[in-house]
Amino acid sequence: MFRRILIANRGEIAVRVIRACRELGVESVAVYSDVDAGALHVSLADRTVRIGPAPPALSYLSANAVLAAARDTGAEAIHPGYGFLSEDHTFAAACAVAGVAFVGPPADVIARMGSKISARQLASQAGVSVVPGETPVDQSDDAVAAAACRLGLPALIKPSEGGGGIGIKRVRDAASLLAAIGQARREALAAFGDGTLFVERLIERGRHVEIQILADHHGQVVHLFERECSLQRRHQKIVEETPSTAVTPRLRGRMGEAASAVARAAGYRNAGTVEFLVEGSGDKALFYFLEMNTRLQVEHPVTEQTTGVDLVAAQIRIAAGEPLPWSQAQLLQRGHAIEVRLYAEDPARDDLPQAGPLLLYREPSMPGLRVDAGVAEGDEVPVYYDPMLAKLIAWGDTREDARRRAVAGLRGYPILGVRTNVPFLIGLLDHPAFVSGDIDTGFVDAERRTLVARLGGDPPPDALAVAAHAGESMLPDAPRSIVASDPWTTLRGWRG
Amino acid sequence: MVKEPGTGNLAPNPEPRSAITVTALGHGRYRVSDGQRQRLAYAAGPPAARWVFLDGHVYVIDVTASRGSPQVRALHDEMALASPMPATVAMINAKPGRDVSQGDVLIMLEAMKMELPIKAPRDGRVKVVACAVGDLVQPGIPLVELE
Repeated sequence: MFRRILIANRGEIAVRVIRACRELGVESVAVYSDVDAGALHVSLADRTVRIGPAPPALSYLSANAVLAAARDTGAEAIHPGYGFLSEDHTFAAACAVAGVAFVGPPADVIARMGSKISARQLASQAGVSVVPGETPVDQSDDAVAAAACRLGLPALIKPSEGGGGIGIKRVRDAASLLAAIGQARREALAAFGDGTLFVERLIERGRHVEIQILADHHGQVVHLFERECSLQRRHQKIVEETPSTAVTPRLRGRMGEAASAVARAAGYRNAGTVEFLVEGSGDKALFYFLEMNTRLQVEHPVTEQTTGVDLVAAQIRIAAGEPLPWSQAQLLQRGHAIEVRLYAEDPARDDLPQAGPLLLYREPSMPGLRVDAGVAEGDEVPVYYDPMLAKLIAWGDTREDARRRAVAGLRGYPILGVRTNVPFLIGLLDHPAFVSGDIDTGFVDAERRTLVARLGGDPPPDALAVAAHAGESMLPDAPRSIVASDPWTTLRGWRG
Repeated sequence: MVKEPGTGNLAPNPEPRSAITVTALGHGRYRVSDGQRQRLAYAAGPPAARWVFLDGHVYVIDVTASRGSPQVRALHDEMALASPMPATVAMINAKPGRDVSQGDVLIMLEAMKMELPIKAPRDGRVKVVACAVGDLVQPGIPLVELE
């Protein structure tokens, strides 16, 4: 086992990895940018290294700064978390050159799976279906439009290199094709510096289901079942769960085998996720390979809660050369888990990211509830990074148990000082369609208006009473309680 | 009603069913009761923009209203017309005196390569535009005022 691991990340995932290190008796090294000097992950680590100013390109994305920090602290391995350098094959290669273990797959595997084109080829060769699509050789707007028509509309136009939902356009009719292509190309160029476009048939009412994979350095590959990630807004996941209501035991078996086959064909090592689009439901549902994520996923805790496997510890053990301790047959799913992502954003304003001080931040605690957070009360949410503050994961014997726990958890999760999506998430989890499990990837965008409309409204009298009382109770001689049918009458009376 | 030691009733309580009792528990926690049902609430922030969390909902309330006729304003309007983060003003569609409809993009900001539209939170007439194209604006400061 390693003596010391550097965590090349921030926020909740850095905290998650630091905690796993502590459990394994491994020293942790946190890196941080100037705005994160007081951040939770920095407070929790055994050693800390400043790696640059706030902009990610100059700190968390700087391979040189991270490698220098590893060298200076004598770290034997680097855990990249997700995002930032986690899927940068040149970084994984640089780690190998520097003699530091990269907690993830080898550089050439990251490179192969990172390209949508070669990943699809590999999946096809492994005998797994892919969604019909292509990257037209002739990349002129007309040729891309012709390719989309060949595949059949509706179609998706998306950047060949990319992710995070950027530049993905949905086209329903030929008339809007050229405009969508132009827009996708501009966004692809701006975001990734590459305007190459990929066209794909749009699977209507498709469900996004992914399979967790673990592969060791001794040739063993296992899958840890599925996660359903259909609740997305603009191609960004916000709610994930396992098991999926669309997946039958037989389909689960077939998808697990397909994912393992892709991982074997890729020469995969460490934790990875194979994403599928599922069309239809029941044993005969069709599933198509979408892509493989060569890193830990944000939503990994739902798998951990239902399998009892600590995926981060497993990643570290695999990187240290240990064999997987279980066979496929020993891995079991138990109960149901739901994760919701808490973002500093304003649902009433198109999810505009919010920055500011966490004046008050209290995590709920109850049986079956887990919170993975990267912040603490008093922290400042900076404007430079992803606005996800925390994840709340609820576990229960049944889906409904887990759902109720998640709602109860959110109702007792006060976050004040910045707007968050907590009220929106409660509405989402309480939506009849979510309760019944009848969801697809278009659900949130379709229901968004109704869900947001419910957030508005005037504060109820009890909220006003609390607001009025809050300032008064800060005074030294203030009584501890006030009573009135109208809080304002009370306030005046008290002041008088 | 069970009284906590040190609590005081400051107003007559003729209708226990509709009376609201607030008890400060410390560290921003409050017990709020209507005489029958009670809940835990949380509050923080300055009087001009006090944040309250109650049962999964968050309210931002201005409690600085004049003492003669206290009024409560939800601050969403004002917040909606300010930038949530340091940003550059890329475009201004609002002109003083012009009528706007809810959802109209009044100002387009740019921060971190993202476009941030500032939209009208309601129908109204533009009173003041307090920024110019190219300005670097700070969070929380209203950029447009509606009548």
